Amino acid sequence: MPDIALQRSGLSRERRDALLGLLLIAPTVLVLGAVIVYPLLSAIALSFQSVYTPTLEGHWVGLANYRELLGSGGFWAALLTTAIWTVGTLTLQILIGVAMALLLHQNIIFRSLARSLVLFPYFLSTVVAVLVWRWLFNDLYGIVNHGLMAAGIIDAPVNWLGAMPNAMLSIMVVGAWKFFPFVVIAVLARLQTIPEALYEAARIDGAGPISRFFDVTLPQLREVLTIVILLRTVWDFKEFDLIYLMTGGGPVNGTRTLPLIVYQQAFGLNQMGMAAAYAVSMMLVMLVFMLAYLQRARKAAA
Amino acid sequence: MVQVVFEKVSKAYGDTVAIPGLDLMIESGEFVSLLGPSGCGKSTTLRMLAGLEQPTSGNIRIGDRDVVNLAPAARDIAMVFQSYALYPHMTVAENICYPLKKRGVAKADRAIKLAEVAALLQLEPLLARKPGQLSGGQQQRVALGRALVREPSVFLLDEPLSNLDASLRAHMRAELIELHRRLGKTMVYVTHDQLEAMTMSSRIAVMRAGELQQFAPPDEIYNRPANVFVAGFIGTPAMALADGSLADGGGHLVVHVGPLAVALPYAAAARPAAVTVGIRPEDVLVGEGPWQAQVRLVEPTGYETIVALDAGGLALTARVPGSKALRVGETVPFDLRRERIHLFDKSDGRRWKPAGR
Amino acid sequence: MKKRPAWIVSLVTWPIVLLIAFPLLWMLITSIKPAAELFSTSPTLLPKAITFEHYARVLQDTPFLQYFANSMILATSTTVVVISISVLGAYSLVRFAYPGRETLASLVLFTYLLPSVVLISPLYLMLVSIGLANTLASLVIAYTSFALPYALWLLRSFMAGIPQDLESAAMVDGASRMGAFIDVVLPQALPGIISTALFTFILAWNEYLYALVLVNSDEARPLTTGVMTMLISAFNIEWSLLMAASVLMSVPLIIIFAFFQRHLTSGFGAGGVKG
Repeated sequence: MPDIALQRSGLSRERRDALLGLLLIAPTVLVLGAVIVYPLLSAIALSFQSVYTPTLEGHWVGLANYRELLGSGGFWAALLTTAIWTVGTLTLQILIGVAMALLLHQNIIFRSLARSLVLFPYFLSTVVAVLVWRWLFNDLYGIVNHGLMAAGIIDAPVNWLGAMPNAMLSIMVVGAWKFFPFVVIAVLARLQTIPEALYEAARIDGAGPISRFFDVTLPQLREVLTIVILLRTVWDFKEFDLIYLMTGGGPVNGTRTLPLIVYQQAFGLNQMGMAAAYAVSMMLVMLVFMLAYLQRARKAAA
Repeated sequence: MVQVVFEKVSKAYGDTVAIPGLDLMIESGEFVSLLGPSGCGKSTTLRMLAGLEQPTSGNIRIGDRDVVNLAPAARDIAMVFQSYALYPHMTVAENICYPLKKRGVAKADRAIKLAEVAALLQLEPLLARKPGQLSGGQQQRVALGRALVREPSVFLLDEPLSNLDASLRAHMRAELIELHRRLGKTMVYVTHDQLEAMTMSSRIAVMRAGELQQFAPPDEIYNRPANVFVAGFIGTPAMALADGSLADGGGHLVVHVGPLAVALPYAAAARPAAVTVGIRPEDVLVGEGPWQAQVRLVEPTGYETIVALDAGGLALTARVPGSKALRVGETVPFDLRRERIHLFDKSDGRRWKPAGR
Repeated sequence: MKKRPAWIVSLVTWPIVLLIAFPLLWMLITSIKPAAELFSTSPTLLPKAITFEHYARVLQDTPFLQYFANSMILATSTTVVVISISVLGAYSLVRFAYPGRETLASLVLFTYLLPSVVLISPLYLMLVSIGLANTLASLVIAYTSFALPYALWLLRSFMAGIPQDLESAAMVDGASRMGAFIDVVLPQALPGIISTALFTFILAWNEYLYALVLVNSDEARPLTTGVMTMLISAFNIEWSLLMAASVLMSVPLIIIFAFFQRHLTSGFGAGGVKG
């Protein structure tokens, strides 16, 4: 036991305690330093260099990467695409998530089975989700086109992933399907802590079901929704797998978000320095939301 | 024999000083209560004695050993926590045996000890249960059992009864007194409940803002409070405290408080300029006397009635036997037990002893 | 007192639940339909005949089992490494006082939000330069970059919920500080450790980007990139084969989900939302 060795060291008990604490955190610090802090600093350093990926040879170019990035339309277009994707899919996630949480909070039959079915997509691999949805969206044999045609809503198969704006709408839907359960779990957990007495009081005061929702439920959910929105904004903004696997950024560059550009620059165009510049710029954009979440979460933890 | 010594012990958390400098000596076999309002430093004091917190400076001795740099395990103490702190994943038997196991007591001896403690605290039917399946009172017993099993030289108890309901608390109080009598071990007991401190302790250490106010047996604390704080803190209903002054009434002392001038049976020699006058409710005699007061509030408790009085601006509380028919607003005559009036020097708040007493 | 079931709400909710579950149901149905039925112009909801030939082909004709083994090794090692480091780290963050502790806690939370694409190029360079490219070990190292902050944050909130009096009692009872940790904190934190381990396993099992960049040989390829390779390498996309692979790939998650759902939801609350 390391603490017994420390006891014999002749240090004061307070010192020994702090030392033991540092000993326990040391592996964490070393690993985080190696896989996060060092790579993060290297990424910033890389963004001032021009590196050819296959040979990994590079030289300093100063701010040239950033100048090129800000000057080209690509960055701004991708930023806009990322924003559209984030806002679109997040809105769907929140709306479906809150609605589903409210329904699943009711005493419906087979409630726990319903909850399991609704939550499962969140735990599924994005790869599986994408394969399933690409099959559903298949223009020739996909069930979505079949179903819509049979119902008479469309009269020719729709190209869901190969044309705009269909491709953007499709990935928003898939993103919503994959990630709304996060909202459900968070909201459901909060709903269960709202005291029944609040509803009883509202009922005595003459509030109907709708005004009970807006006057009792919604204010109670405000805090959890703020945190969920911040967290999901960050996560949707940086989403790579789902978009890359659904559309690869296409058609043309219709769904090419910032994370996809970073990947393309680094491993498609072999421009690691440029990729780093994109990545760092993207992180600066995200920083606002990250800091907002950080502040909230620290406050909640305190 | 002295068992526990605090020597100029101080504790600060960053810039906040919790205990500026505490000196305390506890005799072997004593039952000492650390009493005070919340935040007075009584729990910190106990935790420093246990080794769960480190004093910023000063010395703590248990027996003839300096313990400041010893781990809690090496201090030969046992502790009962307010939350009981029973290990939820262990059975009652495992909880009680844990301290023995940690000290390398053989399994057979552990079983003997367990049986003794279980019999003493009537825990036999509960030994196989987990703490979560016990009532508050039962958990309390298990916590006591875990402390008793090891026969430490000092028992530390941190508000052990405060999570119990009132009737159980009275019962456990009696049991603790009996236990202390039987074991004869030193016990240090932290509480904010003066009734617990008064009924169980051989001496009470009254604390306030980290400073020791008075360390004395219960009757002395009650009858001769060392300062205004102790006077006001001990006793329910509380002692009436009011500003007053002392004068020479032709050789004997006269205290002026509110509209009253009370002649006291002491010589009027040297005296402080201003005093705080303290009068306990049982020393206010309602029914006849030289002064008049208006009844402000009547609280019958059955056995007696607590009456709030206003004697021309001087607020007093009186205990009246039985449920005497007093009406709010009525004016009644009253007298005071003069020799039992408490006087405190206004300049430092300390008890002032008149000459000839 | 049990509340009466809400029939009308059930009637509204269940169709929505089924709609949400439909893609997964369709995956399952496709995987057991004969290939001929797949390309019929009028597909039926239920298969006319049930076949397991697609499963047989996935297991026999593709490197699926190799990928599956890789994923299993990868997710298990990542979980073991991350949990052993984070249990100690979280305990230190919760219970010890030393300079820099709060900064470190904030840093952990910050890294929990960091996008992988920022770290990917430097990590790639680093792992290539230490000669680990194309190995499962390189993926374990890369996965700690997102799994460790996540596990730390989760465990931190679990451990903060354990009453400190328990450790104090253990220390008074004769345990050393680490003894109290082992005797009292670990058993109390066990449910939290289990949910954290499950989450870490799922994260590692599902990871795609690092696997895409760091590994390009079948010997070290996990399921995520492996199954996508099957899609890309096939001339004709064989959907029934892919759906069968998808089902098989999800089996461990279904098992975890079926047996530990309570652990998952509690961990979820502790880490994601309560902060």
